[in-house]
Amino acid sequence: MPLPLQAEALDISFKPTGAVIVFLMMASFLAIGYLFRVADTEGMWVAGRGIGFIENGMAIAANWMSAASYLGLAGLIALAGFYGLAFVIGWTTGYFVLLIFLAAQMRRFGKYTAPDFVGDRFNSPTARAIAAFTTLLIAYVYSVGQASGMGLVGQYVFGLDFVPMVIVMMAITVGYLALSGMLGATKGMAVQYVILIVAFLVGVFAVGWYHQGMVLPQIQYGAMISDLGNQFSEPFVNAPFYVWIATAFSLIFGTCGLPHVLVRFYTVENERTARWSTVSGLFFIMLLYWSAPAMAALGVDLFAADAGISASQVFAGAEAGGMSGAEGDVIVVLAAQLAQLPQWLVGFVAAGAMAAAIATTAGLFITASSAVAHDIYTELINPDATQRQQVLLGRATIVGIGALVTLTALDPPALIGELVALAFSLAAIVLFPMFFLGLWWENTNRQGALSGMTVGLVVWIAAVVNDLIMPFSELYGELVPAIGAALVGTPLVFAVTIIVSLATSDPPEHIKKMVRQCHSPEPMGQQQTAEDVVSTDGGQTPADD
Amino acid sequence: MTENNSHEPADDAVVDTDGGTVTGAAQHHRDTDYLNREVNLLKPSTPFMRDHLKLVWGSFAVWVLATWGPVVATFLAPSTMTSLTILGFPAHYFMVALFAPTSSLVLAAIYARRRDKLDEKYGINTTAPTGTASGSGEKAATDGGVNE
Repeated sequence: MPLPLQAEALDISFKPTGAVIVFLMMASFLAIGYLFRVADTEGMWVAGRGIGFIENGMAIAANWMSAASYLGLAGLIALAGFYGLAFVIGWTTGYFVLLIFLAAQMRRFGKYTAPDFVGDRFNSPTARAIAAFTTLLIAYVYSVGQASGMGLVGQYVFGLDFVPMVIVMMAITVGYLALSGMLGATKGMAVQYVILIVAFLVGVFAVGWYHQGMVLPQIQYGAMISDLGNQFSEPFVNAPFYVWIATAFSLIFGTCGLPHVLVRFYTVENERTARWSTVSGLFFIMLLYWSAPAMAALGVDLFAADAGISASQVFAGAEAGGMSGAEGDVIVVLAAQLAQLPQWLVGFVAAGAMAAAIATTAGLFITASSAVAHDIYTELINPDATQRQQVLLGRATIVGIGALVTLTALDPPALIGELVALAFSLAAIVLFPMFFLGLWWENTNRQGALSGMTVGLVVWIAAVVNDLIMPFSELYGELVPAIGAALVGTPLVFAVTIIVSLATSDPPEHIKKMVRQCHSPEPMGQQQTAEDVVSTDGGQTPADD
Repeated sequence: MTENNSHEPADDAVVDTDGGTVTGAAQHHRDTDYLNREVNLLKPSTPFMRDHLKLVWGSFAVWVLATWGPVVATFLAPSTMTSLTILGFPAHYFMVALFAPTSSLVLAAIYARRRDKLDEKYGINTTAPTGTASGSGEKAATDGGVNE
């Protein structure tokens, strides 16, 4: 893929207003983090318990809204038409599955990270290490999408070329991480959500109004669809039915397996709040997902008008004067620009995108560093690791993964949304079956989990290698496309885990009790984990298996 | 284990505490030792689990239809789905872009509401902070913290 080029219309130059808005936004996140940090040291439990379902829903949504939602989604719908809607379905409806099967039970289990859950539930350091490795891979793949988004939007605000822009933005991210990591700004996420959604919605409403006089573009864009050419709406022209289903399936179950999503459920006061915050979180997410297709439709229309081509020519490819992948990826900002919105308003929309990308990347890097320093190094390689060594290794991980992400993002192998979707298919294949079976089938044992996760990793890596790096089998590529690998992979991992668990001995009694405790309707303490309850409530002495 | 009344031996006293609202279900709940009942997705072992799984599977079935129905219908009958219009949209586009995701949101709210009702039916109080690890001294701190 050639280096991303921008449309003439996206005026690439340094914009003082835009830059100021970006820095104000980042600074406000840091300030909020600082303020809440004070509250935290005064009484950690108080703050911890004060998080209600509205606020936690906003935090879930803020965590969720990365460059992939903010930029990538509209880009996919603009470029891939009906296939793009698979991403709308995949990134929203999965929350329902998460709600009925996992949210409250995870809250009751009461651990902190995905590797923690896997390691404790299956009583195995190796399982923990595989989960940590998977978490690391997810963070890496996910971040590449964010970095590429930052680079593209950064061009509009700071006016550098794509390559130096990615480097500068990643440097800013690591710097931001150093600051926000010290502040531990979890509570600021609600505010972050409000800023992001306002930036996005203001963009959609303003573009709809300026361009077409629309009052509610989320509904009114429907009337434009017939004018946008077949490719925008005709089903299954850009991707066959199977790929559509596979993609949506991967995204839905990936949602249920993403480590940084599940973590949000531990911060709430009880499992009822966990349930209701899933509901409110989904609502807050929907505000953007109702709007992104409208932005895509408006963007395609504006692009065609600006380039003086018919709407269907937009899809003819960049060589034929149509929209390029990079242009699609910034369609949200591009549309604002093409609709002749005032420059500060476009800058505000762009700043929202960068804030989304930077905040998400920072979160992912922290997850990755703890996976390496805590779950892999300390638990597996050197149990006697000192705090100092762990912190050092954590920092080294951030720098290392930052460099790796930057390098990969310089020449991104796919669209932002597609890159992020790879992380989802990985989570859906390797982690979701462990969460689901771990919580719902008490006889899932260590051997089952280990073989299941190994098979899952192999399926996913093979799919990615085949799709993006070195194609080796057409048939495999058709059945297991990297982006939708979970449709085949997840059931396979379920089967392997169940068969191996049945063939080997049952897990020890205290593990089974832990699972039962996750489903008991009996209220439990704020700070208790299922493990605590089991060990204090006459649970048998932990057996050594 | 927790601070509710499950270990009270005298049944009458329990009924009084709840103002006489204890139902058969709630009584069942009090008599159940959840740590010794198997968790099985297909074969619930307690009355609570049976009721909960009915809700889970019921709403899951609706979710499958609402989420996957529109796209499958579009695949099976493309010309019908693309020629009909809903609110100005081609029907297939409307059903997939707006109806399916929104139905998940509605279903989620219905599930959470029903699940609350289930807690009520079984006499489970989820609002009061319970548990031994967080003592009652901290309860006062909670309110103070929120008000500030």
